[in-house]
Amino acid sequence: MQTNRALRNHWKTAVLALTLATSASAWADQLSDIKAKGELVCGVLGTDEPFSFIMNPATREIVGYDVDLCKAVAADLGVKPVVKQLANTARIPELQQGRIDLLAASLTHSKEREALINFSLSTFITGQKVMVKADSGIDQLDQLAGKKILTIKGTTMEQAVRSKLPTAQIVSFDTNPQALLALQQGKGMAYANDETSLAGNFAKLADAAKDYRILPQNLSTEHLALGLRKGEPAFQEQVNKTLRDLESSGEAQKLFTKWFGPDSNMKFASRSFKIETDNIN
Amino acid sequence: MLDIIQTYGLYYLIGQYPNGPLGGLLMTLILAASALVLAFPVGVLLALCRISPFAILRVPVTGIVYVLRGTPLLMVIFWAYFLLPTLTGQRTDQFGTMLAALVIFDGVYLAEIIRAGILGLPRGQMESSRSLGFSYLSSMLLVILPQAFRNMLPSLVNQFVSTIKETSLGYIISLSEVSFVASQISAQLPTKPLQIYALLGLTYFVMCFSLSRFAYWLEKHLAVRSAKV
Amino acid sequence: MNTFDLSIVLSGQYHEWLVSGFLLSIQLALITLVIALPLAIILAVLRLAPYAPLRGISITYVEAIRNVPLLAHMLFWYFGAPELLPPPIKSWIYQHNIEAVSAVIALVLYTAAYMAEDIRSGLRAIPKEQMEAGRTLGFGFISTMRLVILPQSLRVTVPPLISQTLNLWKNTSIAMVIGVGEMMYQAQQVESATFRGFESFAVTTAGYISVSIVITLLSSWYQQRYPVRSA
Repeated sequence: MQTNRALRNHWKTAVLALTLATSASAWADQLSDIKAKGELVCGVLGTDEPFSFIMNPATREIVGYDVDLCKAVAADLGVKPVVKQLANTARIPELQQGRIDLLAASLTHSKEREALINFSLSTFITGQKVMVKADSGIDQLDQLAGKKILTIKGTTMEQAVRSKLPTAQIVSFDTNPQALLALQQGKGMAYANDETSLAGNFAKLADAAKDYRILPQNLSTEHLALGLRKGEPAFQEQVNKTLRDLESSGEAQKLFTKWFGPDSNMKFASRSFKIETDNIN
Repeated sequence: MLDIIQTYGLYYLIGQYPNGPLGGLLMTLILAASALVLAFPVGVLLALCRISPFAILRVPVTGIVYVLRGTPLLMVIFWAYFLLPTLTGQRTDQFGTMLAALVIFDGVYLAEIIRAGILGLPRGQMESSRSLGFSYLSSMLLVILPQAFRNMLPSLVNQFVSTIKETSLGYIISLSEVSFVASQISAQLPTKPLQIYALLGLTYFVMCFSLSRFAYWLEKHLAVRSAKV
Repeated sequence: MNTFDLSIVLSGQYHEWLVSGFLLSIQLALITLVIALPLAIILAVLRLAPYAPLRGISITYVEAIRNVPLLAHMLFWYFGAPELLPPPIKSWIYQHNIEAVSAVIALVLYTAAYMAEDIRSGLRAIPKEQMEAGRTLGFGFISTMRLVILPQSLRVTVPPLISQTLNLWKNTSIAMVIGVGEMMYQAQQVESATFRGFESFAVTTAGYISVSIVITLLSSWYQQRYPVRSA
């Protein structure tokens, strides 16, 4: 095993050298970096109505709740917001590697992820639920044991399903609409996602929505937040300040109404949370 | 299908441009073309190492070629995704990642095409050029490579077809090339996957089939010309 | 960044994920090979058939399949094509492992198109006179093919077929886009569960390369054992 350890040490040195090489370029404070380059790059999903999605095929612009939060942070900094579309699985690596400044990508604040990145105040609180076909005869989570459940790669849903329903068979897709499509086509018994995203899917289903049902029980409660790189206290404070200001000025409520309220596709009656804490328990 | 094209046609062709980044079919073509152009010098370099008389160049490069040929492109893309920023210290976006992966991957395949092109020439070419006083390198650059290039043109066009097909894997890292855009459109129209993916297949077919026909024509044409000479 | 530590992927749950992915990749490749090879032979023989419509079918198939990327095939055969089936059949296959089935369909069609071309070149390497001689002796087209041409072309054809098998092995990775739990899918799953991309990808890369090396060695062994005899 001697060689093995030597090899591992070798790797450690290599990785250390690489880490030093990369961190050198990120020495400067991110906040002043962003101000200097005059733009704030936000990573979004672009496939998750109403957080970030393409609403109008004519303009092909990505809009949504997450996008508006990004714009608010950029406006406070006096820089231009740049929205960049990311794959679910790429969200955290993209942030860590500095290709984006801020994650506004339907991101759940989880204990596991705290080891890798920092989170802003929670910007949305929702439950993870499952959607089934109305004629499937399923009305309890337990009935899904051993069944095929559709979800999305690189998300907290996968972990939630795995812990609530250990015998279920999980099939994960790259985007939320693909998982919905697979449910529609009957390729799985249930589809797990944040309640908000499920509501977005319901809206998309339009007339067909009556054939689907969301089970009342939560798989888990999700605190969504903006994601930031570790070790950037000034930028984090700036982001949180923007969020607090949004809350105190009533702007946060307006954003909620715009994307989730009774006149939106989501049709949520009221807001059950405030943007005030990053406590997820 | 016509109504899909009417509503989403522009998105399909150019992505979010000008209200966002360029994408769609145009992105596919730009990516494939730049990958091939950048991969060519890499391929020449690798090919020269592969046929080099010096083992110190030949052996490691042959090793690299074998390893890369045994690895799926998808794996190369993932490595590029994780390693590039660490190695270069640059912030590479999805386009840069995909481009780098394609350049490395295609470089290896081009190297084999170029090697075959060089080895296909009579040995006398190099010998006479050397005896005229040219060095190995200048004989290679001035005499051998230009002739080999002509012989391998059809293979290069075919490699371009492969590269176009390879760009579709950008889908997996959310690079908004045409396959990704198609899946985005399918997300907007959840009842029409058949039409959308059929349209996607047709798009690739039209591009790649016409190119491979062109390669075939080129092959015939060049064969006739060299027969005359 | 964490230090490089392979132990996390060399034992325990994540190790099991990767091993199950490796085994599934192998299964995908083997099942595809078993179905694609006969299909490719049929296509190649059709291509040389004495009737134009049969040749047309073969040419159309090969060109239509080869000029579309495998990723588009996967998406089409998983999300698109099954929708055309009548509802009872559709719901029956959806109850089963539709992800793997669609992946195998896409892989078979794609691989067969390439293999058919290799087999065709092999058949064309056999002088025309052989076919003519066989026909003169009273054998039909099919029997001459089966008894005279195919056996002779084997030596020329096997090496490119082995290299198509190598491509097939690498291509199984694309099945990840339709949720098939093969090795690449599992590598990404492990990466997103543990955030240890380097370790997960290193082990997976080793998995791909080791099988690729076996296939390459097989090819060189064959070429040494059964060299092409020049006429």
